[in-house]
Amino acid sequence: MQAQVTALDFEESGFRPAPRFRILRELGHKKIAMVGIVIITIFYLFGIFSPWLATHDPNQQQLVVEARYAGPSSDHWFGTDRAGRDLYSRIVYAARTTLLFTLVVIVTGSFLIGLSLGLIAGYRGGWIDTLIMRVGEVLSSIPTLFLIIAISAAFRTRISDFVFTLKEDTFLGDDARAIVPFLIIVLASLPFAWFGSARIVRSQVLAIREQEYVLAAETIGVSTARLLARHIFPGVLPIFLVGLSASMAGIAFLEVALSYLGLGVDPATQSFGTLIFEAGRVRTFQQFPHVLMFSGIPLSLFFFSWTLLGDALVDVVEPRTYRR
Amino acid sequence: MSQGLAGYIIRRLLWTVPVIVAISILVFLLLRLGPLDPVESILGQRYTEEGADRLREKYGYDRPIHVQYLKYVQNLFQGDLGVSTRHQNFTVAEVVIPKIRVSAGMGVMAMVLVFGLGVPAGVFAALRRGTFLDPLTIGFWLLIDSVPVLISAIWAQWLFALQFGWVDLTYGGVFHPNIILPVFVMSLPGVAGVARLMRASVIQVSTEDYVRTARSKGLREQTVVVSHVVRNALLPMITVIGLALPGIFAGALFTELLFGIPGIAREALQAVLAPDFDVVLGLVLFGSILFVFANILVDVAYGFIDPRIRLSAARGS
Repeated sequence: MQAQVTALDFEESGFRPAPRFRILRELGHKKIAMVGIVIITIFYLFGIFSPWLATHDPNQQQLVVEARYAGPSSDHWFGTDRAGRDLYSRIVYAARTTLLFTLVVIVTGSFLIGLSLGLIAGYRGGWIDTLIMRVGEVLSSIPTLFLIIAISAAFRTRISDFVFTLKEDTFLGDDARAIVPFLIIVLASLPFAWFGSARIVRSQVLAIREQEYVLAAETIGVSTARLLARHIFPGVLPIFLVGLSASMAGIAFLEVALSYLGLGVDPATQSFGTLIFEAGRVRTFQQFPHVLMFSGIPLSLFFFSWTLLGDALVDVVEPRTYRR
Repeated sequence: MSQGLAGYIIRRLLWTVPVIVAISILVFLLLRLGPLDPVESILGQRYTEEGADRLREKYGYDRPIHVQYLKYVQNLFQGDLGVSTRHQNFTVAEVVIPKIRVSAGMGVMAMVLVFGLGVPAGVFAALRRGTFLDPLTIGFWLLIDSVPVLISAIWAQWLFALQFGWVDLTYGGVFHPNIILPVFVMSLPGVAGVARLMRASVIQVSTEDYVRTARSKGLREQTVVVSHVVRNALLPMITVIGLALPGIFAGALFTELLFGIPGIAREALQAVLAPDFDVVLGLVLFGSILFVFANILVDVAYGFIDPRIRLSAARGS
């Protein structure tokens, strides 16, 4: 209610709120977008608070016959897997892995590398623009998934010595075993994660650069860094967010795919990839459908929500792109 | 216009040469300088220093890296893609070509199915615009699109093979009826994209003057829809072939794994893990050329369909 009143005040006073507030407000009017946002928020809240929301230790095995592949019960809400581990807790922690992976890849790949290279390419132009765009074009012409698999596979073979060194000589201790494989898949994904946003940002910068207010700022001698940060970045942000939400499902799927193939996170780290791999042989599914159902539904809903949110954002940011 | 288009296609084709060369150097370096060692995995338990050195000499891995690369390129120009180390005594061409046939066959069938399901869904949604059936149709296919092949393949196998018993899960070749199930699974994620584009296209065409003319001269609604609206709305769908290709390529990996199909995606995975340098390189180059040409096809198709799109603007932006 409060938000609506302020919005009205803006309009009456003739002051137009900044584009990002307009986008938030218009998104709020779209029911489908709200469904997406709610599901994504719940998913990420489970990821953030997984130690408190999990009911069991996800790696605690119960190797008695009755405890294996048990159906849902009051103690094990989603039942147990083939080693008697609590499925609900494993899924809650898998959401945490997805959260961490998407966050790290988005912040480093799309945001730090993609956004800044896009800004530089669009604003500076010339040879540096050509270089960035050509490198990106080459990288995006390769079948990405296979290169990521190749890089992950290449670096996994020699990690055990490295993990041991880290475990003994740094503060990481036992966490090293979980962190090193995670970093490998992040680093393998980064070369392919930046170009999408860089390209979007660049083309938007090319349009904004010609605006009068940018010329005015240049004329009064604003420094390039300030010009990019204060005058160009806000104009780029909406379309950057559209690109981001469109690529989220793909980025999250990379971790799932790699973990499914055994090339992703450490086996002791929970992941939807490992969960689906363990659940997903048709005979296992026929006998114990709950394992694949409970791990597949949250993941599919997560992907679905990003699609919904991405669509709604496109509508709000660029209403003319798609007629609806 | 046609002059410009021909020039544009030639420029784009010339530009693919440095792209492919750059990819080949990149992947070559990644494989040769990375920690993967094919000699170790060939010898396995029988590993001895002398044996390893002998194999390195046989495959040329002992030579400086730039000499190896130039040798590879030289062989490439003579139509020699190298030899496989995973399948001993087979050349890369012998390993890869039968698998390309399988994957290409499945890809074409999947593409047909994607259109077969997506075009009617899109037309239906567009004609029911304003009712709940429109968002329901598109939403349904978007939901299907969100289920990874990893999961949908298992559901489909269980439902159609174990419950209904319509097919069984053995692989009997590309032209065996059993191929229907993997093709179906592979095409599911592509339908939403086609349906949405078709819907947008039908809505766009419906506002054209010639549709209004057709209606006002008293044609039956059915005739207007089929021969005026849908026929013209189908034109932009050509671009989807290019757009859907990478998706089908990615979905193919898990389809081939879960259905035990000897296609290129599974071969590429096994070649990466083996490792089998020349097979990986050959497949990555094949895939990249496919991608690059698909992109050119999309851009050119856009130019044909809508001459208002300036081709020079499409380049690099």
